[in-house]
Amino acid sequence: MNTHKQNGYMLLFRSDEWYKELSYAEIQKVVSQNNAWIEGLTAQGKAKPGDALQRQGATVSGKNGRAVSDGPFAESKEVIGGFLLLNVETLEEAIAIAQSSPSLAYGTSIEVRPVAEECPLDVRARELAREEQLATA
Amino acid sequence: MLLFRGTDLRKGLSSEELQKVTDNWMAWFRRLTDTGKAVAGNPLEREGKIVSGKDRVVSDGPFAESKEAIGGYFLLDVATMDEAVAIARECPGLPYGIRVEVRPVAVECPIAADLRAEAHFAQV
Repeated sequence: MNTHKQNGYMLLFRSDEWYKELSYAEIQKVVSQNNAWIEGLTAQGKAKPGDALQRQGATVSGKNGRAVSDGPFAESKEVIGGFLLLNVETLEEAIAIAQSSPSLAYGTSIEVRPVAEECPLDVRARELAREEQLATA
Repeated sequence: MLLFRGTDLRKGLSSEELQKVTDNWMAWFRRLTDTGKAVAGNPLEREGKIVSGKDRVVSDGPFAESKEAIGGYFLLDVATMDEAVAIARECPGLPYGIRVEVRPVAVECPIAADLRAEAHFAQV
């Protein structure tokens, strides 16, 4: 895997509503730990401001987007609760930052994804075109 | 925020069809940014890692050829959920099995909002 990327990395935070189980004091602690973590990263220029997502939403699917359903459902462990864009050059550094997230202690899992320099669909379309050319040659 | 789910749409498409979807997708994004309705957007590579648990374990995807994996996102600047859903319905990937998750960006972290609500109750 090419681990060097100029476009940075995206962290996607997945969790259920784990914080619903915590006491007021515990939540207060997590929120301030998490804020300090993000402020530290932005101060060092390693993260651009991220956002939290509301637990509700809709999913659009089907041929002409005819199907609009509720969800994702708040109680699922897979729901993306927020994201952060990292300004670092290697996957290793992005993983190390993810590993320092205070939310991991509460069952969150963090997806670390390289932001693509070129749309992977576009790259694949060109590869396919070459393959098709070779096949007809 | 629009999250595009499904990284398996290349299967079975010819290069021409795939190129058409890609071009339409890019034109769609350009139109949204030109009209100020999209403020950011990026495709994600079909690779990456997952960090989880107290032990901070690092594991592999899968992020390729998956129906659930997120292939990219747009950040929209629209006032209503209805408008965001209407934009999501224009996604050129929909006929090929892509699903678009439409999620309101929280003005305040939902955890902090819960906290304030509880603090309010504690005071009453």
